[in-house]
Amino acid sequence: MILLQSPSRFLLQILHDRLLSQDKGVDIDCQTVEFDDVRYHIQVSMRNPKVLVLSVALPLPPEEAASFDGLPFGAIEAIKAAYGPVVQILDPPKDGFDLTLKINLAKLPSDEEQKNAILLQIASIREVVLGAPLKILLKNLSMKTVGPEAGQPVALVHRPNESFFVVPQADKATVVYPMRFLDSIDIVLATSFLQEFVEARRTAALNNAPACMWSQSPPPELNGAPESALTANAGFVTFVVNPRHVEGKKLDRTVWNLLTFHAYVSYHVKCSEGFMHTRMRRRVDTLIQALDRAKSDAEKLKKMVTGPSFKK
Amino acid sequence: MANTIRLYLTCIRNTLEAAMCLQNFPCQEVERHNKPEVELNTSPGLIMNPVLICRNEAEKCLIETSINSIRISMKVKQADELENILAKKFLRFLSMRAEAFQVLRRKPVQGYDISFLITNYHCEEMHKHKLIDFIVQFMEDIDKEISELKLSVNTRGRLVATEFLKQFI
Repeated sequence: MILLQSPSRFLLQILHDRLLSQDKGVDIDCQTVEFDDVRYHIQVSMRNPKVLVLSVALPLPPEEAASFDGLPFGAIEAIKAAYGPVVQILDPPKDGFDLTLKINLAKLPSDEEQKNAILLQIASIREVVLGAPLKILLKNLSMKTVGPEAGQPVALVHRPNESFFVVPQADKATVVYPMRFLDSIDIVLATSFLQEFVEARRTAALNNAPACMWSQSPPPELNGAPESALTANAGFVTFVVNPRHVEGKKLDRTVWNLLTFHAYVSYHVKCSEGFMHTRMRRRVDTLIQALDRAKSDAEKLKKMVTGPSFKK
Repeated sequence: MANTIRLYLTCIRNTLEAAMCLQNFPCQEVERHNKPEVELNTSPGLIMNPVLICRNEAEKCLIETSINSIRISMKVKQADELENILAKKFLRFLSMRAEAFQVLRRKPVQGYDISFLITNYHCEEMHKHKLIDFIVQFMEDIDKEISELKLSVNTRGRLVATEFLKQFI
């Protein structure tokens, strides 16, 4: 799996299982944690078998990213637009969570395809809620209009206590990510990966992809941003998004990809380290075999004889 | 550039063949102790002149011999930041498994990346020429492994970037 998938497998599995076993009485109460501090808590009680209660906790936003009642800007409207009557927002959310939804399985459309589409959308709750402000900015781009924030960097949350910046303009949106990693090895690997992004963009096949730049120091687009956001140990990545990338069906995919860019790079850095460990272990085994060959046969015979005993 | 590695390794092999004449030598200072004299460095009569073989400024190999032990230290080529951390990671990985390798030293000598300590006991247990084969193959394998790791990181980076950017088209 190279790309990060938008619908959460955990939620999708539980929703499908619930649909299949509607008559069998089993209470469900499960919690899970996803990358970047997103937590889910899903409950079904047999008193109301058609109703699921889903609570979502979001990453802690830093000061510069505006938060309205604990949810990103535009999240509530996005939820209403995406799910309609199937989902109802419960206010206040459960203790320890930022959002609680009541999902009514009875209100799902009877058509199989539409039902699956809505379930997939519910499992993508993360994209709907966290991606709401970004979606609004990019929708403006697709309609070639600008809101009041034109030309200024807008801070959006993608990781706990860290934000990335979008500078919306009439004909393009510039997205800047300060990339921070904790481990020094991660920093070097990530820097080499990010430079590959710039190289890959230059190939002819990817001419229509957003323009991509990497720099060690903050780019000029971040001139209006607060000081704390301007330090990044793995450099700054800039993408220039055109209206062509956000028209029609591409909007959701673009929102998800931009929202999870840091998580994507981080995931592949970790995969790379895991792969290196496997390789190194294999190499160690080969070398030890080579050393064994160096042992004289007398030594090997001695070791074999003192091992298992002979049966008479 | 590719030719010099052969010359470098041949030179190291010849030096090792000449230097690896080890015999049992009980410690002169303490009764009933038997220590590798090259590590102690106490008596000048027991230690031979160290030989330094340089391939270029970045790569070199130091061979120190004594009457009952020989210490081989290597400095591995590290061109850029990525090769630097890959080499460090890999050599630390090997050094932690020094027990399995028997002839490997847990910590490299100051100024080098990895060290071997071969004693007369190892020479008694193993064939001398096969041991030298092992050391030379080890050196070759380290170089190969680091360049392969670097290649895998770059290839993966390219693939990851291409897949991501393709999503926007």
